[in-house]
Amino acid sequence: MSEFHIVVCGSIVPDPLQTLAPVEAPTGWSLKNEMMLPAVLDPWAGHALYEAANLAKKHPGSRVWLVSLAPKAKLQQVMMAVSQKAPFELVVADGSASGFTDSHETARVLAETIKGIAGLETSKMLLFGGWQSASRGSGAVMQMVGEMLGVSEQFQGVDKLTVHDDGAIEVKERIEGGSYQNSLVDGAPAVFGWATGELPEPPNNPQIGMQNMQKNMPALMQAKPADLSGTTMKLASVAVPQQRRETRVVKDAPVDEMAREIVEWLKS
Amino acid sequence: MSKVLYLAHTECDGTLHKSALETLTAAKALAEGLGGELAVGIIGADVAAAADSVAGCGAKIYGVSGPDFADARYASDLAAAEAVATACGAEIVVAPATSRFSRALPGLAVRLGGRVDTHLSGLAVADGQPVARRWFYRQRMEGTLTRSERPWVLTLDSGIAEPFAGAGSAEVEALTVDVSGVRTKVAGLECPSEDQQTIRPDARVLLVAGAGWTKKQADGAVHVDVAEETILNFLNATKSSLGSSKSLVDISGEGNAVISFLTHMHQVGQTGASPRHAKGLSTCCHGEEPHVVGWRFISERRAINTDAGCGWAQGKCDVLYVGDAFEIMKKVNEMLG
Amino acid sequence: MSDTTDTPEVPRAEMEADIVCVGFGPAAGGFLTTLTRGLMNEDGTPVAESAVVPGMPPQVICYERADDIGFGVSGVVTKGRALRASFPDLDLSQIPMAHEVTDEKVLYLRDPVGASRRPAVFKLADKALGRWMEDDAFELPYVPPFLQKHPGMVFSIGQLNQWVGGNLMGTGMAQIWPGSPVAEPLMDGRAVTGVRMADQGVEKNGTPGPGYMPGMDMKAALTVVADGPVGPVGQHLDRALGLPEGKHQREWAVGMKCVVDLPEGCDWQAGTVLHTIGYPEPEIFGFLYVYPGNVASLGIFVPSWFGNPVRTAYRYMQHWMQHPYLWKRLQGGTMRSGGAKSLQESGRRGAPFLCGDGFARIGEGSGSTNVLTGSGVDEAWATGVMLGESVLELMKEGKPYTRETLEATYVARRRASWVEEEAKVAEKSRDGFVSSVVKGFIGMGLTGLTNGLINMPGSPIKPQDRIPTIEEYYKGYIAEGEVLEIRAECARKGTSLHDALMDRVGWPQIPLDGTLLVSHQDALLMGGKVQAAPGYGDHVRFADPYTCEACRERVCIEACSGQAIYTNPEGGAPLFDREKCVHCGACMWNCSKSDLKDSERTNVCFRAGSGGLHSVEN
Ligand SMILES: Cc1cc2nc3c(=O)[nH]c(=O)nc-3n(C[C@H](O)[C@H](O)[C@H](O)COP(=O)(O)OP(=O)(O)OC[C@H]3O[C@@H](n4cnc5c(N)ncnc54)[C@H](O)[C@@H]3O)c2cc1C
Ligand SMILES: Cc1cc2nc3c(=O)[nH]c(=O)nc-3n(C[C@H](O)[C@H](O)[C@H](O)COP(=O)(O)OP(=O)(O)OC[C@H]3O[C@@H](n4cnc5c(N)ncnc54)[C@H](O)[C@@H]3O)c2cc1C
Ligand code: SF4
Ligand code: SF4
Repeated sequence: MSEFHIVVCGSIVPDPLQTLAPVEAPTGWSLKNEMMLPAVLDPWAGHALYEAANLAKKHPGSRVWLVSLAPKAKLQQVMMAVSQKAPFELVVADGSASGFTDSHETARVLAETIKGIAGLETSKMLLFGGWQSASRGSGAVMQMVGEMLGVSEQFQGVDKLTVHDDGAIEVKERIEGGSYQNSLVDGAPAVFGWATGELPEPPNNPQIGMQNMQKNMPALMQAKPADLSGTTMKLASVAVPQQRRETRVVKDAPVDEMAREIVEWLKS
Repeated sequence: MSKVLYLAHTECDGTLHKSALETLTAAKALAEGLGGELAVGIIGADVAAAADSVAGCGAKIYGVSGPDFADARYASDLAAAEAVATACGAEIVVAPATSRFSRALPGLAVRLGGRVDTHLSGLAVADGQPVARRWFYRQRMEGTLTRSERPWVLTLDSGIAEPFAGAGSAEVEALTVDVSGVRTKVAGLECPSEDQQTIRPDARVLLVAGAGWTKKQADGAVHVDVAEETILNFLNATKSSLGSSKSLVDISGEGNAVISFLTHMHQVGQTGASPRHAKGLSTCCHGEEPHVVGWRFISERRAINTDAGCGWAQGKCDVLYVGDAFEIMKKVNEMLG
Repeated sequence: MSDTTDTPEVPRAEMEADIVCVGFGPAAGGFLTTLTRGLMNEDGTPVAESAVVPGMPPQVICYERADDIGFGVSGVVTKGRALRASFPDLDLSQIPMAHEVTDEKVLYLRDPVGASRRPAVFKLADKALGRWMEDDAFELPYVPPFLQKHPGMVFSIGQLNQWVGGNLMGTGMAQIWPGSPVAEPLMDGRAVTGVRMADQGVEKNGTPGPGYMPGMDMKAALTVVADGPVGPVGQHLDRALGLPEGKHQREWAVGMKCVVDLPEGCDWQAGTVLHTIGYPEPEIFGFLYVYPGNVASLGIFVPSWFGNPVRTAYRYMQHWMQHPYLWKRLQGGTMRSGGAKSLQESGRRGAPFLCGDGFARIGEGSGSTNVLTGSGVDEAWATGVMLGESVLELMKEGKPYTRETLEATYVARRRASWVEEEAKVAEKSRDGFVSSVVKGFIGMGLTGLTNGLINMPGSPIKPQDRIPTIEEYYKGYIAEGEVLEIRAECARKGTSLHDALMDRVGWPQIPLDGTLLVSHQDALLMGGKVQAAPGYGDHVRFADPYTCEACRERVCIEACSGQAIYTNPEGGAPLFDREKCVHCGACMWNCSKSDLKDSERTNVCFRAGSGGLHSVEN
């Protein structure tokens, strides 16, 4: 049976239920009231974490780290919820989780942080993450982290991962038009950018929460500030599109007439 | 003089996808705008036909081909892209944001010591500099950005330019790339069959079905069978793509009468997809905000609802037909023949 | 029921802490802030050793049901006496959406549409005060002292809770777990030995389903019940222990509110505080507080003594917002988020047993909220501080947490506090409303101005006994036959009855603009929306479905703040949609029938649930 060292990259994003608006400050763009908005674990990264925990459970001796680049005060709040869902060791780089940072800088900080994990064996490493963040949505960070760590067996949009008895890993990736591509990689190390996966969100388990926080609180306290300044990327403008239209309401018209209008429109 | 490399991969039939041709138009315009030179790189099992189809662009064409490059695979695609970019000394790489390149090309930025920006919704030149446009926060806001790092790898979403047309006879400089060390094997694809296929990203029209189709109608009864038939007839007649509201796909979890061919993959909206189609017709869907945000890339929108006060009436569509979708769609199907 | 053979037997987990606290509102904030500051000696050694993890300081756990510790709903304007005492150097600029009170007004609003049900005195006032009115509003020449919040501050309770919680977790001395609904106290006779968390992986009706995980038992030497006005742990204790002689909780209100980005050029300055009376109905009070950055928190209170059985606070709030005085300054604004929550208005009169063996109660659920002054935050905080001081005292002396020791410390502190003194004054202030609004207002004024010496007599009636039939309420306005027709029409179309009836008696339609005047559903989806975590059972259930079946008022449906309770098209008890519920608790007292087994309660069971509103602004 294989033993894996699973490193999950996942940060926090504003609770998707919030209304978001961009604002510009001398330091660059950010979200209005960014530090005030409630945050959650980035959804696809969350699926990656639950898949990782599940895989580790099936492969005794495996370990799971959650590597997060995020402002630690906010991360601490989010961890109170996430910690209850699956056991993991938290590794924190204290810095911005904004969608407006350069994906390369985010990847560089993550790669450097992962290199600093004591006890991590690259030959057993499965690098997990969300295939896109809900903030930047670049779908580029995981590939770059993998490259920086020298891992070039990579998969994106993963919905399923099966480990065969010989250690080979079968992967199902999302591609266009509701289709899937199946691949087989002979084993670790490899990178997996997860889509939804197959597992439901685990319940909140207060016991797991308390075990996690005992080891993870120190990691939060000791988090080092991350330097994301190595970029020339400049956002000239960010705007929320105006979507309001002039709606013509067709009422009390015969069915035939409405149908005819629709067909004409479809054909035009 | 800046060198713009346009990268594409072939489809299974050896052609280039529409989105690849659109990207070529954008890449060509970029090279011209920058006063630079355009080069083309094509990756695939056999790239000759694809190269011919774009020969009219006048650029030098590089090819990486062979069975190793037939399938989408990170390590081999990246190695091929790296070989082309190195061979032509690319400063800017422009490629379509297909699933294949979205997987492989971010790694290219690291290999070349450059940077990457993905899923662009626009690409232009201003003050002699490329200006990229892309969405942030799940398509909730759009920004424009510039940067001075090079090489700069850019992937473009579909729909940002007209597809390039200009076939001819191409001369391809073939590059050999050794991928014998790659540990991944592609086993195959799982595609829904043409008939079952209801998500059609390339369709002109999106039909959205809402929970109203499974609700009690004026006669006090539920008519899911009629609903299914009406929807399928429309899809068959128009080859439209099918989308759904969250409520309708969620209902299936509660043991209610359901539309059998709908899954969560069909869900449009904040927690679903934001598909791109020229036209969208919403039926039996209330038009609530979390749903309608998924219509961002639907240009023309019409809706049918029995409720004149539904969300669509509030500036969310161009035309709202207040009426019974069962009746109206039946008639529409008849007229479509 | 029990043919669940395919459900594996899942053992219930059990853990131990020294102190477990239920709910994280201002009361728990005051308690934990006080406690954690005193847990360590100057030399870095703990003041007492944990009984469950030897060698460590006492283990303190707090469970909050909402998905984030900032998802509360409240005003808030407060004098902040207890808060200031806890944070003498409080710098309001460090807390988002906080400001000093700069201007305070009480406004009498005239009915500009002619649909309000006004007793003669109000009609008279509408006329008599007319010439001093601006935009149909009369500004009281002075703010009665009992209402004054000056000097004081305005807050967003979500931001305040986040700030307090962030500080607390930073100390490492307490853990606050969000997304953790506590189902009930663990009881041993009249003693409490800890709490039981809500089950997960269950069906709507609570039976085990796939992924069943029975709620864990968390044992603790002291259970602190701080679960607010409608908290199920407090409610459970009230049922199990009864209320002290002469106490009852029959006075309620639901606060329906929203946070609004004010239009540009609005002349309300940060720190402005408005209280309104008189409109949309005389029974409904309004509030509006202005935050820095041109943002306001505003809303209304609909009390249990409002006689209309078809009521949704949401529509009344929309009419109130459109009152000319307010609308002049609100028009062009944008709703950021909405919310609703119950207030326990019985105050001291509803105070339960404040402690017992192994437990103590703080905050609104312990009767701390002052109806006369309309404040509960600082009062709740103060009760938490008092318990925190008492627990530290007992810890240092090595004493157990028994009824006697807690009486001698915590209850003694409460009896001697300003919270208690002011609560006594407030206790009788609202009785007048029982018989009529006019008497109520006079009563409230008398009580306030005479410091409780003179009160309007009247004794509180259970909300369910007060609610008239729809036909009774509309007598003289709509003929019985027509009410029947409207009912039938609404039932057939599945539309709201209260809307139809309000339209019928002359309330204008709401001109929805999609930004500030939005549909009730859209309001639940704006800004901080509503969401329910999967895997929990329904937390709103109907005690006896047959009682519902026979019920004609169906107040629960009309009053639901989230449109989460709705008519079952098949007949029978109403249906409940957990996805829409904002956990306001209003259904608990907005029901016209008593629970067959307990006449003090209604037919709605309001239990522990997760999820609800996702907004840290309210
Ligand atoms: C956090 C969050 C995220 C969400 N994300 C999404 C999302 O991604 N996508 C999404 O869709 N929703 C999402 N929702 C849910 C969304 O708010 C709505 O509940 C949902 O879109 C409603 O679906 P519906 O309009 O199909 O159903 P309903 O609201 O039930 O509306 C049915 C409609 O059908 C009409 N109707 C009935 N019979 C007929 C007939 N014969 N002819 C014509 N009309 C008829 C009715 O008038 C009604 O308007 C989300 C909600 C939340 C809280
Ligand atoms: C609209 C409105 C406006 C108000 N305006 C003002 C004002 O201007 N000034 C003022 O001073 N007061 C105001 N109040 C009153 C004030 O908000 C309350 O009195 C105060 O919040 C009470 O504090 P608390 O800590 O006792 O309870 P709460 O604030 O209610 O906190 C209790 C907490 O317990 C949690 N909880 C409940 N059940 C469980 C469970 N089973 N498991 C775990 N956790 C649980 C709840 O989610 C909640 O977070 C207003 C109230 C409302 C509704
Ligand atoms: S819960 Fe109460 S108000 Fe609602 S239907 Fe039942 S008895 Fe009537
Ligand atoms: S069902 Fe939920 S939203 Fe409705 S009144 Fe009850 S607690 Fe409030």
